Amino acid sequence: MSAVPALPRPARQWRDGELAVLLLLPIALINAIGFILPVLNLARYSFNKSRIGGGMEAVFTWENWAGLLSDPFYLELVFNSVWISLAITLTTLVVSYPIALYLHRASGSWRTFLTVLVISPLLTSAVVRTYGWIAILTDDGPVVSAIKAVGLPAPSLMFNIKGVFIGLTEILMPYMILALMAGFGRLDPRVEEAARTLGATPARTFTKVILPLTLPGIALGCLLCFVLAVSSFITPKLMGGGRVFLLATEIYDQAIVTLNWPLASTLSILVLIVFGAALWAYSAVLRRLD
Amino acid sequence: MTAMKNATRAGLAALAMALATSVAMADTVVLTAYSGIFQENYVKAVVEPFMKANPDITVEFYGMPNSAQMLGTLRAQASAPQIDIAIMDVSVAKAATDEGIFAPMDDTVTKHIADLYPQAKVEGVNAVGVTFDNLVLLYNTDKVKQAPTSWNALWDEQYAKQVSIPAVPDIQGTTFTIITDKMAGGTNYIESVEAGITRLEALAPLVQTWEPRPDVYQPISSGTAAIGIGWNARAQVYADLSDGKLGVVLPQEGSGFQINVIGLIKGGPASDSAKKFIDYALSPEAQAAFTEQMFYAPTNSKAAALISEKAIERTAAGAMDKMIDINWLEVAKIREAITEQWRRRVIPLSR
Repeated sequence: MSAVPALPRPARQWRDGELAVLLLLPIALINAIGFILPVLNLARYSFNKSRIGGGMEAVFTWENWAGLLSDPFYLELVFNSVWISLAITLTTLVVSYPIALYLHRASGSWRTFLTVLVISPLLTSAVVRTYGWIAILTDDGPVVSAIKAVGLPAPSLMFNIKGVFIGLTEILMPYMILALMAGFGRLDPRVEEAARTLGATPARTFTKVILPLTLPGIALGCLLCFVLAVSSFITPKLMGGGRVFLLATEIYDQAIVTLNWPLASTLSILVLIVFGAALWAYSAVLRRLD
Repeated sequence: MTAMKNATRAGLAALAMALATSVAMADTVVLTAYSGIFQENYVKAVVEPFMKANPDITVEFYGMPNSAQMLGTLRAQASAPQIDIAIMDVSVAKAATDEGIFAPMDDTVTKHIADLYPQAKVEGVNAVGVTFDNLVLLYNTDKVKQAPTSWNALWDEQYAKQVSIPAVPDIQGTTFTIITDKMAGGTNYIESVEAGITRLEALAPLVQTWEPRPDVYQPISSGTAAIGIGWNARAQVYADLSDGKLGVVLPQEGSGFQINVIGLIKGGPASDSAKKFIDYALSPEAQAAFTEQMFYAPTNSKAAALISEKAIERTAAGAMDKMIDINWLEVAKIREAITEQWRRRVIPLSR
């Protein structure tokens, strides 16, 4: 019996799990160092004691959390931040949806041109755009002047909640439009045509066909805009005139002005909890859609 | 192989020597203080003349927008400081001292301590006053025809919705609370600012913004607001740049000081040269030069004689008797209570 020539050893086969772990490792590491560690650090700070004048003592106390939960000012802050952000998200959705739908149906270079137009505000920093809005909405600005010229009582649009609302809605629109377009994948024009052929009115086609098929995009856009609205502080700071108290502006004040880092950390963790709730709501919506 | 090892060794030795000499030669002092116009003027009036007199020392100015950020950076570097000197607000410096960030400030650092005004030496803070500033009344010269003389101009109905006030927790708001309290008959702001808060409630409906941005000087210069409050030194510089649009007044009722202190960072890399710079920064010459440049009042009592009449007039130095003595370390204890009063009682009335 002649010896069977040894077959070359096959290259090591990656098992599916191993490869996935290996590919995920770099991003997991970056996230651990750049995100998880700082968040854990924040969580730790939230149990530190703040000294008068801005010092910080590394002890373990529930003081900050107890103070937060027992002070009606902070509860109002959470409530305000959530409802204002929800209202802004909804307004952004209503004004962005038609644009996204039109863009989804457009084609060729016209579509490219319009998409660039939609994205172009993102090329300018939100700070610059906010200053732009201040110039437009102040009491001697063009909007208030136009309202006065028509003979209507001029509302004060700047340095209050209205200003924050208008500014943030415009700033969040590109994000909403892009998220909506990304989620419009399932919207096949042939389905709409079928609905119309079968005698559905345009309104019925919209409510029974288009809207349900675009719900994943709506959920994604709303999640994104809500998270951005809750965490934005530049626009509320610049346009709120110091009258609009939100979680993000309060974190800024506590961290940068009064130097109460333990309280700022506690509020930051609270924001993370709000984000967690938003993510939970989002996945619940997605589950129901499936 | 051995030849290669030797070559590597020789190379490393050369590199080490080069590094060692460069460390010895380039004595670089890193100074952190406010960015923006403070940096611009401080470099011109103090840092550059110091480097000219000490060619072997380079001073690097690391500007940061506010004291809180400086404290944050110093905190993060506590185990291996990269910064040698900090100029920051006295209440933040107290926090930094409590955390062991500053080295002790005594005659071994500077020989000028004895010449400093008493307000510049704050018990429990390892840093001494380097600039005095004070709150002033600002107005737009187009909108306010006659220069106001009293803080009461802020309550004038004709400027309704054109008043710009940086609210607490900003210390301009805190200083203003103390001034208002005194005007309204309050006798001891540490015990209660009730009288001041009640007076501020009347001001609230007239206020345009409690959060002027980028600062209070720009909207008043441009006419977006008519009248407001701000710090003297910056106001004087911006007034010169505004073509006469920004008016600045130290009202007859007086005002309160804000104190910036200078301190040596414990374990900073350039200790001896850093001490030399601090000594220079507190000298009558440097103090006088910075007053001429940016109108902060000097903290060294011997500087006044070197400053021109014109520059002195634009600081509070000529009105020392009218200044309220604000103990910032005591104020730090009541700051939260004042903020709460503003948020519950004052700001809601302006909605």
